[in-house]
Amino acid sequence: MLSRFPQACSLASALLIPTLMLAQIDRTKAPAPGPPPNVRVADSKLGVLPNGMKVITVENHKLPVVSVQVRFDHPPILQGTIAGYQDLVGELLTAGTARRSKEQLDEEVDRLGAQLNGASDGLFASCLKKNFKDLMRLVFEVTTAPAFNAAEFEKARTRYASGLKMRPEDPDQIAEAVSRALTYSKKHPYGEVATEATVAKITRANLVAYYERFFQPKQGYIVFVGDITEKEAMDAAKEWFGAWNGATVESTTDANGVESVKNLGPVAQADIQPTANGPRQVSFVDRPGSAQSVIRVVFPVDLKPKDPDALTAQVLNTMLGGGVFNARLMQNLREKNAFTYGAYSSIEPDRWCGSFSAGCSVRNAVTDSAVTEVMTEIERMRDEPVTEEELTLAKNFMAGSFARSLEDPRTIARFALNTQLYGLSPVHYATYLQRLDTVSAKSVQAVAKRLLKPDNATILVVGDKAEVANKLVPLSANKTVTYYDANGDLYRESFEMPPAGMTAQTVLDNYVKAIGGADKLAKVKTLTKMYEAEMGGMTVELSEQYAAPRKYAMSMASGPMVMQKIVYDGTRGKKTGMDGEDDLVDLELEDAKQSAVPFPEIAYPELDYGAFLNGVVELNGRKCNRLMVKKAAGGAFTEYYDAESGLKVRRTEMQAGEQGNMQVTTDFKDYKEVGGILFPHTIEQNVGVQMHFTAKTIEVNKTIDASVFAITD
Amino acid sequence: MAVLTAGAQTREIVFSEFDLPNGLHVILHEDHGTPIVAVSVMYHVGSKDEANDRRGFAHFFEHLLFEGSDNIARGEFSKYVEKAGGVLNANTNGDRTYYYEVLPSNQLELGLWLESERMLHARVDQVGVDTQREVVKEERRQRYENQPYGGLLPEVLKRAYTEHPYQWPTIGYMEDLNAASEADYKKFYKTFYVPNNAVLVVAGDITKAKAEELVKKYFGDIPKGGAIPRTKVVEPEMTKETRDVVHDKIQLPAVVQAYRIPAYGTKDFYAVDMLNRLLSNGNSSRLNKRVKDEEQKAVYVGSFSLPFEHPGLAIAFAIANAGVEPDSLEKAMDDVVAEVRDKEVPAAELEKLKVGIETEFVNANARVAGIAENLASAYTFLGSTKKVNSEIDNYLSVTAADMQRVAKQYFDPKKRVVLHYLPMASKQ
Repeated sequence: MLSRFPQACSLASALLIPTLMLAQIDRTKAPAPGPPPNVRVADSKLGVLPNGMKVITVENHKLPVVSVQVRFDHPPILQGTIAGYQDLVGELLTAGTARRSKEQLDEEVDRLGAQLNGASDGLFASCLKKNFKDLMRLVFEVTTAPAFNAAEFEKARTRYASGLKMRPEDPDQIAEAVSRALTYSKKHPYGEVATEATVAKITRANLVAYYERFFQPKQGYIVFVGDITEKEAMDAAKEWFGAWNGATVESTTDANGVESVKNLGPVAQADIQPTANGPRQVSFVDRPGSAQSVIRVVFPVDLKPKDPDALTAQVLNTMLGGGVFNARLMQNLREKNAFTYGAYSSIEPDRWCGSFSAGCSVRNAVTDSAVTEVMTEIERMRDEPVTEEELTLAKNFMAGSFARSLEDPRTIARFALNTQLYGLSPVHYATYLQRLDTVSAKSVQAVAKRLLKPDNATILVVGDKAEVANKLVPLSANKTVTYYDANGDLYRESFEMPPAGMTAQTVLDNYVKAIGGADKLAKVKTLTKMYEAEMGGMTVELSEQYAAPRKYAMSMASGPMVMQKIVYDGTRGKKTGMDGEDDLVDLELEDAKQSAVPFPEIAYPELDYGAFLNGVVELNGRKCNRLMVKKAAGGAFTEYYDAESGLKVRRTEMQAGEQGNMQVTTDFKDYKEVGGILFPHTIEQNVGVQMHFTAKTIEVNKTIDASVFAITD
Repeated sequence: MAVLTAGAQTREIVFSEFDLPNGLHVILHEDHGTPIVAVSVMYHVGSKDEANDRRGFAHFFEHLLFEGSDNIARGEFSKYVEKAGGVLNANTNGDRTYYYEVLPSNQLELGLWLESERMLHARVDQVGVDTQREVVKEERRQRYENQPYGGLLPEVLKRAYTEHPYQWPTIGYMEDLNAASEADYKKFYKTFYVPNNAVLVVAGDITKAKAEELVKKYFGDIPKGGAIPRTKVVEPEMTKETRDVVHDKIQLPAVVQAYRIPAYGTKDFYAVDMLNRLLSNGNSSRLNKRVKDEEQKAVYVGSFSLPFEHPGLAIAFAIANAGVEPDSLEKAMDDVVAEVRDKEVPAAELEKLKVGIETEFVNANARVAGIAENLASAYTFLGSTKKVNSEIDNYLSVTAADMQRVAKQYFDPKKRVVLHYLPMASKQ
């Protein structure tokens, strides 16, 4: 078949192209591939030094570059009250040695054009071949004689603490820290989160004790990669590390087998089995003003690297959200719904505790829909077999990725190191492509059923609480949202004890004084308050009218359409809604009776409201007195009074709804005087959606027609 | 070169190149180390080629041109690549857009077919525009609006350029994308995504003759486009210091300083770039050593060049250590730069920079995907593909005197933009 652009082609051929070529091209079909190329996994060599250190060498002369990695293997260790010290070990390793100050070491590394990075379990270095001998000297010094200089330690700790200050403003950092805490729990080493408080407790001695205990040759590997022969590598390893024996460690072991290291304490490996989370929960970290919600769906998985299902799990993940554009999460959340720039998932096998994570960043308005779609895609992997087309794409993509990864000789080194660390079969990587080939839709679904636990997932959202949190309530098993802080601890408002002598009554008295005084309020015989809000493109008018004694009329309308109306004439009440009208009875009548008080704050005892002052908390940067108010008729609400001005700034109340318990938050702003009394002229209410009310009419002691409060039978 | 690069271990990239009659430049690089092939097209179009009411077009096309073609159904483009075991992506900056696939080497022809379809008759229609516009909005939120310091570069650019299109960020503005019609998009495509504005690179496990034959087969019949319109705007010199405060959702204040520098590829660009390396490459660099280590005023400090085709910027950026005032941090940064203006760089320090450059050039050619991009960039911006092997000399020939001269000439405190990035909480 010829091109579908005969005109363009004939024009082109007349001018430029030999006709021979046109005959060959069929643009309508993708060209067939040639015969598959042979994918060969290069060799690595393994040797052992007399002190027990293992030496891995991968020879590759493509570039005149050599890298060396030193790695010490030990189970993860709980850091507890000094969480974060292991991160500092890495930084301090390269902050000076017994023979060189940090400045001298930095100078030497840069003089060699080298890279030298420390980590809590070793280091990585690389440079041009011609400088390799000089670099080995540094690698040896840094590994065996780091100075842990006291001044450098203090600097690094200060910088680390400063860096942690940035976390509350960085949604991705928050999501990273909190999702670890929620996946593994803070009792597991992987779930620990360094905070300013834990970093403040770290001492230099902790670092030294950790280093001496865990940087031991018998737990060590040296990995050489690049422009180096096996002999050169072994010679270098022997020359530098052959006589190294590590430090002598002062430690004791208790009756339970828990080792205690001097200056570090117990180095328990904690409970390293993954524990399934409880029923599906929604966890939320408030970051006010967020332009997007960062979503993570997480749970631990029991999957070790040598698990026979590990490869199938990766095929599963590739189809779900593991890096291909055609994965389900990407296609659904980006290409179909345009909720996000990208949606991904991962399944991480691990010797101690594996994990699953799926997520994306989405605009506020679609947060709940996006979570629902993510959950649906996870469930579908369990509930339905994948299509052959998806499976083929995923397997081909993984085979291609495997081949591409071999371009980097460090991949071969990683294979060799993993084989040692994880106890993999010696042909684990050599047989990768054959094993991949046997993965079927059936085996994928079986592994999905085994590993994916959507009903026990933790749904973490980092975003603007006021905009999105309430809508997530229905997605949790117990219909509540649990709030966390940026460090993965349960959220608590900043709290101070109230000043001595301050009670709930003082707070209420101050409020009354602030808005005009008890005398003025007592003289209010009638009151009309009318507010307007925009809702879904229409203007909604909310009016409340009061007349002494205890008459009340409320109406919510949009133009001529009355959505809700309540009238209470002092003894009887009536409600009118979209479905007709009805008498108010029982609790509804009680509610209307209570509403008929224009300034309830002066009447809490009369209303049978029990108020108590529950501390001074911070709200939008201002100190507020927090009142917990219990209604005798049932229910409770919380109020916040600005400690300085005395004005009420917020009221929150839990409201039971069909979808679960929602928190209704009402903010009072923009107080202005009418008839000698201050009224909020802006009211923002959040019930899942944010509504912004602006005062249109407020009238004090202006005659209200009696018909407003009349109830006719 | 002989003297300066003596002992240099960079490996020469061997390549061949030719032009098709339709103006497409083609570069081939053979490397049988791994059975993979990179197929890439660099279009010489970036955000500086946009009209000032169509900001973000070039980047938008980076999304749009995955939508398919006359012969590729919507959404199938990536499927072809991934099903073949390959990866694909694209990126855009002020000057060019780069599309690529890395495939198993037996899928070379597929890669060429896909890229030729994209060039010949990509699907540019309202359906694609509508979906991708929403995706780009999310990209904007994720990368700029919801990231601490994410708005920093746009804030710098809009003050550093008053006339030139570099004043807007590559991602552009949603109002312009909303206002554009399908016809506007089609016109932009027909103007810039044409063979005479592109370079095709095929690098990896190929044989030259076969690759050349296939390139001609798939790209030969693509009609040549018209003359490429280029922006004539010349940004006037900075004549004063522009100083501003920006509030953002951050905890630690930051200081940004931006100086106008010569265009990428010019002699002075390399001297300026060496200067930036002196300032912040490696722990022993001057800003790192002084401001971060000794004076402990920053948790991060860096100084880097924006290598633009038209005069670009050198941007120094530091995030204050807790409790450090931005003024004090800025003073520390200024002192370091002043020293470069006042005193010539010692020979040993210059030597150190050159070893770093050499290492960097060696590592830049570790993978065929990287080689492909380096070849395309050299052709597009350095005037000759051969410069891929000789660009290093531009660095190695920089002298201490050059560095002092450019420090005085371009790092002038009276001609720059200075921003203090402060926490929202400090705004009253």
